[in-house]
Amino acid sequence: MTCDDARAHLPDFLTGELSAKAKSSVDAHLAACGACAEEFHKVSETWMKLGVLPVEQPSAALRDRFYTMLEAYKEGLDARTADRKAEKAFSIREFFSWKRPAFRFAAAAALLFVGLAGGLFVGRSGAFNEKFARLERQVDDMRQTTALSLLRQPSSSERLLGVSYSEQMRAPGEQTLTALFRILDTDPSVNVRLAVVDALFLFAKDNRVKDGLVASLGRQESPLVQVALIDLLTEAREQKAVDALKALIADDKIHPDVREKAKQGVKNLTS
Amino acid sequence: MSDVRNGYVEKLAILFERHYVSLFNYFLRLTGNREVSEDLVQDVFTRILKYRATYQGEDRYIVWMFKIARNAHIDALRRRKEALPLDEQLAEPADAEPLPEDRLEREQDSALVSKALGLLPPRKQEILVLSRFQHMKYREIAELLDCPVGTVKAMIHRAVAELGEIYAALTREKCHDM
Repeated sequence: MTCDDARAHLPDFLTGELSAKAKSSVDAHLAACGACAEEFHKVSETWMKLGVLPVEQPSAALRDRFYTMLEAYKEGLDARTADRKAEKAFSIREFFSWKRPAFRFAAAAALLFVGLAGGLFVGRSGAFNEKFARLERQVDDMRQTTALSLLRQPSSSERLLGVSYSEQMRAPGEQTLTALFRILDTDPSVNVRLAVVDALFLFAKDNRVKDGLVASLGRQESPLVQVALIDLLTEAREQKAVDALKALIADDKIHPDVREKAKQGVKNLTS
Repeated sequence: MSDVRNGYVEKLAILFERHYVSLFNYFLRLTGNREVSEDLVQDVFTRILKYRATYQGEDRYIVWMFKIARNAHIDALRRRKEALPLDEQLAEPADAEPLPEDRLEREQDSALVSKALGLLPPRKQEILVLSRFQHMKYREIAELLDCPVGTVKAMIHRAVAELGEIYAALTREKCHDM
């Protein structure tokens, strides 16, 4: 065995993966070659030295954050699955099912109507209406506050949760929109930015949202986010996006898949 | 993982419990920062959920998970500020009780090894961490890094030799300071 042959076996020697036959050849070489024996000794010593580094334990907060994120994701997934099922299997029984959010809403509205009628009957409808509207505003304010607070968190999972809260609003306020666009443009996590694109899709009829999305397209660097934005703007039939898409097509540094997607987008929007 | 891909996302908890400490230590060796490492572990599991559909049953889960972990780390490196070195975080507070001599020596040695590891070039540091601490086989590392097994072995050899030199230099420096 030459010195080169012996040293080629060194990595397997370190991890104990050397076959018995190879090990005996290496041992024989080391007994005869002082330079290789020294090299093996030095490298093995350093390898063993790395064993002094202890296995560190993360804080308990990591587990809490993971389970919060998993729960939120599962709830979102269940809701989406239920929506898809409802779309696929429409029937009279399901139409009147308590499981349908629309029916629940209708039932809630009916109860509200009964309540209002009752309120009118006793001559207190004005006060009731006012109370109800105030309560509704409070709930919405609470959602906005929670979402805003989560969107500012350093942890990406909490920001994801904040995005999920924003999706539940009927119309996000100015502050929430500003926070969502800030995240879309600057968040270090591509996942969070993609979640924001999905969330904003729900409010794509709002002109502020459309304008913000068009402006953001030019600022994005991640091909995944660029593609998601192109899909959204094309689906929203946003004509203002055409110039932004053309600018992307003309950009030499752009990913070829993104350029292709932008071309399709221009074609769809101008046809 | 196949169950998670097929919609049983709650089963991700099993994978989390099995791998989160190991992933945390992987990131900690590379970044030297506990908070950043915890964020990265969280990011990995968020990405696993996001990209669960891309998992092919025949893929080795560990390799697939570490591909995600590497990407999360690369993205973080691009964006995050420079992390604090591990020895600074592990440093005892000034008013801490004095440590017994052997423990003190062990911790000083551990801090020195950690510092030496942090001074290796990133590629060598990563290969060494995957092999020595994550106990990945060379062929798995080769698959993960998309390079021949021979290249991984050659880099391991060079990385350990270089680490030994850095460690020796740091020890000399420390003796000189005393």
